[in-house]
Amino acid sequence: MTIPVSTETLDLAAKFPGIVTPDEREGYSGWIVKADELAAFAASLRDDLGYDFLSSVTGVDYLPEKKLEVVYHVYKTTGGPGLVFKVQLPRKKPEVPSLTPVYPGADFQEREAWDLLGIKFTGHPDLRRILMWEGFEGHPLRKDWKEPFYEEDIKPYSSRWPEGKHSYAEDRNPFNDNVQFPKQFDPEKWVPEGDAALYGALAEYRTTDEDGLDTDHIVVNMGPQHPSTHGVFRAVITLDGEDIVSMKPVMGYLHRNHEKIGERNTYLHNMPYTDRLDYFCSMTNNHGYALAVEKLTGIEVPERTEYIRVIMDELTRIQNHFILIGMLLNDLGAYFTPALYAFEERELILDIFEAVAGSRMMCNYFRFGGVARDVTPEILEKVSALAFDRLPRKADEFDRLLTENEILVSRCKGVGRLSSEDAIKYSMSGPSLRASGVPYDIRKADPYSIYDRFDFDVAVRYNGDTYDRYLIRLDEIRQSLRILQQAIRQIPEGPIQTGKSTYLTKTPAGESYGRIEAPKGELGYYLVSNGTGNPWRYHVRAPSFINITALESMVVGGKIADFVIVFGGIDVVLGEMDR
Amino acid sequence: MAVDFELIMFFILAGVGIGTAAGMLLSRSAVYSALFLVLNFGAVAGFYLFLNAPFIAMAQITVYAGAIMVLFLFVIMLLGAEKLTPPEVLPWQRPLAVVLAGILILEAAYLLFLRTPGLGEIQMPGFGPDTSPAAIGAILFGKYLLPFEITSVLLLTAMVGAIVLVRPRKQGGGQE
Amino acid sequence: MIDLALVLEWVIKSLVVIFMLLGGFAYLTWFERRILARMQTRVGPNRAGWQGLLQPVADAVKLVFKEELIPARADKVIFVLAPILTVVPATVLAVVIPFGTQVILFGRQVNLAVADINVGILFLMAVASVAVYGIVLAGWSSNNKFALMGGMRSTAQMISYELALGLSFVLVALMADSLQLSEIVEAQRTMWFVVLQPVGAIVFLIVTLAEVNRAPFDMPEAEQELAAGFHSEYSGMKFALFFMAEYQKMIVISIIAVTLFFGGYLGPFIGRFPWLGPVYVLGKVVALLFGMVWIRATLPRIRYDRLMDLGWKVLLPLVLGLVLITATGILLADEFGNSLVWSIPVVSILAGFLTVGLVDRSLRRKFNALR
Repeated sequence: MTIPVSTETLDLAAKFPGIVTPDEREGYSGWIVKADELAAFAASLRDDLGYDFLSSVTGVDYLPEKKLEVVYHVYKTTGGPGLVFKVQLPRKKPEVPSLTPVYPGADFQEREAWDLLGIKFTGHPDLRRILMWEGFEGHPLRKDWKEPFYEEDIKPYSSRWPEGKHSYAEDRNPFNDNVQFPKQFDPEKWVPEGDAALYGALAEYRTTDEDGLDTDHIVVNMGPQHPSTHGVFRAVITLDGEDIVSMKPVMGYLHRNHEKIGERNTYLHNMPYTDRLDYFCSMTNNHGYALAVEKLTGIEVPERTEYIRVIMDELTRIQNHFILIGMLLNDLGAYFTPALYAFEERELILDIFEAVAGSRMMCNYFRFGGVARDVTPEILEKVSALAFDRLPRKADEFDRLLTENEILVSRCKGVGRLSSEDAIKYSMSGPSLRASGVPYDIRKADPYSIYDRFDFDVAVRYNGDTYDRYLIRLDEIRQSLRILQQAIRQIPEGPIQTGKSTYLTKTPAGESYGRIEAPKGELGYYLVSNGTGNPWRYHVRAPSFINITALESMVVGGKIADFVIVFGGIDVVLGEMDR
Repeated sequence: MAVDFELIMFFILAGVGIGTAAGMLLSRSAVYSALFLVLNFGAVAGFYLFLNAPFIAMAQITVYAGAIMVLFLFVIMLLGAEKLTPPEVLPWQRPLAVVLAGILILEAAYLLFLRTPGLGEIQMPGFGPDTSPAAIGAILFGKYLLPFEITSVLLLTAMVGAIVLVRPRKQGGGQE
Repeated sequence: MIDLALVLEWVIKSLVVIFMLLGGFAYLTWFERRILARMQTRVGPNRAGWQGLLQPVADAVKLVFKEELIPARADKVIFVLAPILTVVPATVLAVVIPFGTQVILFGRQVNLAVADINVGILFLMAVASVAVYGIVLAGWSSNNKFALMGGMRSTAQMISYELALGLSFVLVALMADSLQLSEIVEAQRTMWFVVLQPVGAIVFLIVTLAEVNRAPFDMPEAEQELAAGFHSEYSGMKFALFFMAEYQKMIVISIIAVTLFFGGYLGPFIGRFPWLGPVYVLGKVVALLFGMVWIRATLPRIRYDRLMDLGWKVLLPLVLGLVLITATGILLADEFGNSLVWSIPVVSILAGFLTVGLVDRSLRRKFNALR
């Protein structure tokens, strides 16, 4: 039985006659909206019904029906279940009005849908490719787009089994194990396309101040290879002296089309791939994905497993936040000392991951309806030693060493401010949203797993500056420890897997959206199944990617040195941003 | 032998001084010009050392080479002035320069060859080869106190003037 | 007449100083890495040789054999010249430092200083002010925006902090009644100047951190913002020269601090065993260097505009006030008896607290205005 994505009992069809119809396909829920009236509908949804948080925008290519569908998930920041609405477009000329005027947080997601699916959002201010490079041919998430090593639509490929008669696409490819560039291509003379458009998106280079003096602005490319971008992120910044005039992020250097790979894979194949999204938090990535598949198939999760999952999630959150604090201090110029102190704690937590999952970072631990291995009493012993003794002490130590530090305070306070309205507007999620004074935590607002059983508070801070984004991490570490302590006390004995574990999970046709409160924000998995063993559509709502939407408004007007810490304070991981 | 050594050093320094001065004038890039000027200051400081005036030599380097020229370079780089094309040559500039240079050379020749006793030695009581900075200080703050103070007031005025000129204009009379 | 033996003595002493700085640079990197590692719960380089003592050699060999790149559109002459211009002042600074009194060596009275000139402090100022050229020119000639910004920052920073540096030299000169470094050390026989000028010494130490671009003032090479700042485009030996200059400057500036405020070569039994002088200097320098490393391991970087504010609006007025306090104190001591010299530390500590209080208040106000 599929758990519907949208459980809201509003009758929107009656409220918007002729515009909205309920989605009555088997396994689907929500509403289908006419493309022309979308903006007005969304505005009314936001203003009259209170769905102020646009969680996800994505598209699905229904090739057999010759339709493209844009799927929107909206939520109330006051809590409660969400609402899903869709716009169906002809595959030939898919055009839909952009929702950026209503929900500015749709900006990057619409660009992504344009990039990967070729859905044109009319009225979008800056509809350029975002993950693929400019000049890329086609839209790779369309079902009729084939990659260079294309063999079949879905795995397992018949060439690989049975009896191990392997025949690899690489061997059949004339370029052998790599796709080479065309004969006439000369890398020395190649000029990157699209940079003009990118720089054009920035403000004017030259301005005139009130005295009539021409002021030259400098365009600085922070990245893609730059120590402070935590990977291969590129920020094109226009500077007036040391002040930031405008900023445009460029991403996709690590893009591997995770979603296309996911659609080729079987459901279980994807579990290890999710590890690689946010490579600091593979456990929570697993959880979100498992949740989405479990919603799709209706698999129940045993009691003990739920506890194990919660323990692993919270450990992940704690180590992520420790690392974030350490790295933020690194961005501030503290020479690795806080970062290495944080790493010490992280290593201890990774020891536990290694003990349960066999791997420290790429855990691949969750299964549909269970987890891969049981947690032995010895491991639990270790966890409780951490949760009850060491980690609380260390959180206090960080607090004592850092919170009052004059330089940290003076560099973080008031820097990169984001008001609560803006944070919601830009679909900011996770600790950064809560640091802006919005107490929105999915664990409380729309509880999944067994979070409704635990006694904990939603950490919230009200200034929305980098200092609060730092403080909220400490708060969250403490709250996570509370959850952890309760979970360790309450964990029951029992099975860890519902039914028999299988390699090939069959799902009923339908859609599902599994979202969790990942350490970096709302991590969502949108799945569409057509009833086979492979997902028809597999979309990741990556918090790192969407949280960056607000970056421009946070850094403009600040100093270039502030950019680094604002970016560091949002907490992004490029593996997840670029997917 | 000691005289010879000083003479050799004098000619080396003089060569450096003239060469860098010429280099400063002739070089196309503003940055190079500034660097030649720095070298020139160094050469002049060397002369001061030979004149037994280490205090002035050090002050020369600190103030001119260390502070003023760095600011020059700063401005040149900030404005990107090294890329600017040279301004148009004024038509009367060259002839005038030739005439003035001729007058200067004549003057120098007159002083050198016709007025043989030279300029004469300036009498500075209390100054000798081993004058300590303390002695300079005593003279500066004793005998020449008034000129010194006047100079400092002048500099202070200039500083205040500069600050007033670049002060950001207040909008609506509000603070900052 | 130039005495040949004297020339030989100068050459030998200069070589000793140069090799001392080179060796000091090499082992300072090792020292810093080991100390940092210990502070960061790591081990640090311990593979090359016993306790990693050959690590500097390994690094040097690596850097020598690395490819040296010159960007295509860089100004090649200046690009090559800049590292040299950075290293030379760092080395030259050390010549006026007295490492001890006189010793008898091969039957000659030898001064343990290369050139103990009577304008020693001015010489330090002059050379320190020229040292900025290498960095500025490196930044400019690289034809790289990050490098240029690094160069600009360092220029502005060094000019700003030179004022406070110069004035803290003045404090010492006032106390010692001389600009000659050996006389300054001798003036500390009864009492180190750090006791009489505690605030002055602190200001001096802060300013020197800024002058040598060390944390928390390592703006020009602020890694997180400017990649590597002015030496972004340098590689191989040219990079090594910048690296060397930075560490040599650290050593030299520590020696200067020791000379000016911590009694230089003075210590117990120095009168009977003049060779103890260099040992005392070494010990004090290592202590100061340890402090610098400790600061680097502890503090985040101050933002650039705040750094300028600190230099111009806090340190400069403070040190000007200290000059006034010191001059008055000396005058009082001359007029009314020597014990009044203790008014200098008392009043200057009060001034220091006042400054800290004012800074604290203005920061607090700023944060309150944000709420």
